[in-house]
Amino acid sequence: MLRAHEPIAGAPATTGAIEVRRVTKLFASRNGSAGVEALRDVDVDIRPGQFVAFVGPSGCGKSTLLKLIGGLLDPTAGRITVGGSEVAGPRRDIGVMFQAPVLFPWRTVLENVLLPIEVFGLERRAATEKARQILNLVGLAGRERAYPRELSGGMQQRAALSRVLVIDPPIILMDEPFGALDEFTRERMNLEILRIWQEGRQTIVFVTHSIAEAVFLADRVVVMGTAPGRVLAVIDVPLPRPRSIDLMKSPEFAATVFEVREYLGVAR
Amino acid sequence: MSKLRDHPGLVLSPLSFVVVLVLWEGVSRAGWVAPIVLPPPSRVWDGLVILFTASWFPQHVWLTTAETLIGFVIGGVTAILLAIVMVNVRLFKEVVYPYVVAFQVMPKVVLAPIFITWFGFGMESKIVMAIAISFFPVVINTVVGLESVEENASLLMRSLVASRRQIFCKLAWPTALPSIFAGLKTSLTLALIGALVAEFVTAKEGLGTLITTFSFELKVYLVFAVIIVVSVLGLVLYGLMEYLDRKVVFWRRSHFTG
Repeated sequence: MLRAHEPIAGAPATTGAIEVRRVTKLFASRNGSAGVEALRDVDVDIRPGQFVAFVGPSGCGKSTLLKLIGGLLDPTAGRITVGGSEVAGPRRDIGVMFQAPVLFPWRTVLENVLLPIEVFGLERRAATEKARQILNLVGLAGRERAYPRELSGGMQQRAALSRVLVIDPPIILMDEPFGALDEFTRERMNLEILRIWQEGRQTIVFVTHSIAEAVFLADRVVVMGTAPGRVLAVIDVPLPRPRSIDLMKSPEFAATVFEVREYLGVAR
Repeated sequence: MSKLRDHPGLVLSPLSFVVVLVLWEGVSRAGWVAPIVLPPPSRVWDGLVILFTASWFPQHVWLTTAETLIGFVIGGVTAILLAIVMVNVRLFKEVVYPYVVAFQVMPKVVLAPIFITWFGFGMESKIVMAIAISFFPVVINTVVGLESVEENASLLMRSLVASRRQIFCKLAWPTALPSIFAGLKTSLTLALIGALVAEFVTAKEGLGTLITTFSFELKVYLVFAVIIVVSVLGLVLYGLMEYLDRKVVFWRRSHFTG
């Protein structure tokens, strides 16, 4: 179920690839005067199956960039292609996870996970079996019929993750998905994400403001700066996989974290 | 028993009711207040017995209940439909909403005499009054509810490329339900008021007619008895709505996780 995403017949080999070319995003201000430049001339290339983290301070446009890739916003200039085709709006080969779990309180966990299936108009019976397996995998077995309010914050995010996985998207966008969780839960969730990605090899774009989290998770870290939001550097993470928490003790980890910090100007 | 100790109100509240009744009875019997002005509780009880043993009484109760419920259902359903159209068609809302708010502020009971003129002395004018008075809270609550969809939730639906219809059915409508039910609960009580007021103005039957008739006849104890019946009717109707609300909007007390 979480095997590498099998390319749809006839789909280009670029399934899961993301290309961001000279993208600028202006937000018009309310009074019509000069807007805010959220992103200026951003270039990013993401290969299929890569785990990429966007890291930067608040206001660097990392969430905006994520929404642009997901087609939830339109760029003011430049172009974005996903899987070889230009992004012109939301698309179903991209799964999105937000900082809040966004579970519907009137739906049980299982019903929440099946929401995309319903929206896509897919066969519910087969999907239900799959949803149960995924809930098993993320540690929510036995909680299928619980309502979101009966779950802890971490469990709610696991349900939200299951809702993304149920449609097997080749690309998953995560906007600070664990930012609202406590440190311990967050660490556990990160390991779980890695495990799932290891099996599924989706392209994952992960937005965070935690440098350590970005380095720990990603193959490449896109370091972003503010005013205007732009890419400061793209750093390849030289850490082996599969990764465990022990890796955080290694000098390579520390060195990479420090490198990112230097680009962000917070090392001094 | 510890429950009673923690919540003395559970005992004191009914107890105070009994105390007031006893005082009231005493004051009336002592002759401090003429029974024709304020009949003692025992006399009101006699009135209730008279009402409930009279063969003509049930049809009055039934008529007022029917006027209330028919007006409430027509008013509520139309209000919800109008609100849905307003939320989905911007221009329509911009044109109509100011009038809705203006009518909401207006005390609708002033319309009762006109409705009698237009729709006659029968049930119709009372139903129209019930509609007019129960309509606006539902419109406004439905609009507010439908527009209270969380940013993140609609972003999620957009990311799934959901159709407008899906967004409405799976997100906006359930989101609005708690607010709609709050409006419906207010409206049901208002619909009863509307029916009664219209009956006050002119009617041949109904609980409102009984109140005016008995008042003219100076049978104040019967007026009190009818008032009690009306209050119980209001409570029962509200209780039913409350029950429906808890069944339908079972998630009310849980906030949206996001």
